Amino acid sequence: MPNKTNTVFLFSLLIATLLSCSPRNISTRYYFQNEATLDRIEESYKRINAETPFNIGFSNRKFSTISLEIITDTLSYTYEFDMNEPRLTDTLLKYGMNAAGVTAIIRQMQSIRCAWINESDYYVDGKKHSLILMSVKPVALKRPFVYAKYYVLTYFPQPQYFDSEGRLLQKRKLNELRKINGEIFRRINSKVCYTISGRFR
Amino acid sequence: MLFFLTSYSTSGSDTSKIIAPAPITSTQQQALAYLKKVDTLQQSVYWPHVKPKLLLRNLKSNINNPIGIYAGKGTNFCGYGALTYLFLQDDPLGYVTLLVQLYRDGQASFGDSYFEPSDPIKQEAGQLKYKGILDINPAEQMWYLTLADHYKGYLNIFNRKYDPGDENLFWASVNYAKFNRMTRKLLHYKVNARGADIVRPKNLNLFEYITDKMLKGKVVLFINNRIVHKKDHITIKLAVPTHFVVVESISRQNDLITLVYWDYGRRTLMQLSTAFFKRIIFGISSFTKPTTDAQ
Repeated sequence: MPNKTNTVFLFSLLIATLLSCSPRNISTRYYFQNEATLDRIEESYKRINAETPFNIGFSNRKFSTISLEIITDTLSYTYEFDMNEPRLTDTLLKYGMNAAGVTAIIRQMQSIRCAWINESDYYVDGKKHSLILMSVKPVALKRPFVYAKYYVLTYFPQPQYFDSEGRLLQKRKLNELRKINGEIFRRINSKVCYTISGRFR
Repeated sequence: MLFFLTSYSTSGSDTSKIIAPAPITSTQQQALAYLKKVDTLQQSVYWPHVKPKLLLRNLKSNINNPIGIYAGKGTNFCGYGALTYLFLQDDPLGYVTLLVQLYRDGQASFGDSYFEPSDPIKQEAGQLKYKGILDINPAEQMWYLTLADHYKGYLNIFNRKYDPGDENLFWASVNYAKFNRMTRKLLHYKVNARGADIVRPKNLNLFEYITDKMLKGKVVLFINNRIVHKKDHITIKLAVPTHFVVVESISRQNDLITLVYWDYGRRTLMQLSTAFFKRIIFGISSFTKPTTDAQ
């Protein structure tokens, strides 16, 4: 009898462990646990990006190599720097960017393993709108035998419409799901959505 | 480190400064005059979701600003985009007459190519969504879908008929031979290709070769974009090319190559080490006018 109890207990523990690490569970908890940092990164990025459009990412698994793209009217400049390299600040200053602000964003991104942030356009009824897309690689999503997953957040400037299952819709009256980078997003609050993806951008 | 940029230096051999303008087949003015003549274009029965006003506005915008043409987020249209970018620069009149004929008649011929898009294509054009600015550009939707429907390569063997969403899948994929075949059919250039889908060009000084070809005409590179613009942190990746870019200029200083290329509606400048440059390039297609080539 004790053997049967132990087996049931161990099996329950295994199921509980697996479920606690499941993408769905991570998704519902992660944003609220890290809300302050995530929102601070989004706010700072939005402010600096309005002056000079740019994207930032970490291109290696150690989160030590920064991929930076600065977008001007005529050209996009693609850079890659190691963290703390003086060339990073020199380059940001060369483009008249807020170097202190950008490096602060990079440090905050690294602290929560945020792999990517950019502004992306989308169109509704022929009108252009934009959103901020941010991808994080939480440690809890790094399970053995599981393909690398990213927790992708979208920040909209205005409230969005969702169906009864909390999935992002194209329009209120049209019950059509809106896909971003081919993914279906779910509600966190009226302006923030998430998905779990195999790609960070 | 794979690629890096210090400050954009124009010293060394900067191709953008020494390329002589090549003769073109038709002019922007001719294309705009043609569009003015057809500005009363009626709604096509063949393309029910493409509004004539939007089509003409899109065509005019492409003629005035070829750099802005966009192949769409997440699609496999980059090869068709590179072809169209060259088409617009060399023969804008040919481009607009072909597109207007395709819209008006539901079929069109150009050179020895005859396009008769399938019904699913005609239904889908104008309805593609979530592809960025491609969403509001019906001419590009119509054109890219028609090209993908018409030209087939070995990557399209298992998905030959269009279903919604196939623009992101193998149905729309362009292998290197297919790209060169399309350009030979549609562009008024002599096309020379070096490289392949899996094997990189061998015994070739890439920088010297591309610089030489740039001096005579246009160059398109078939590159492994997955290691240039990473989308995940997977370290072991198949070394295969996935993307077509049009070279705008190339220069070198010591071991550092400065490449300016066009893709996705804009120009990008990137500096790469010679070793990394060699690693990403699988195909080099050069486009020369017969007269230029003979010189």
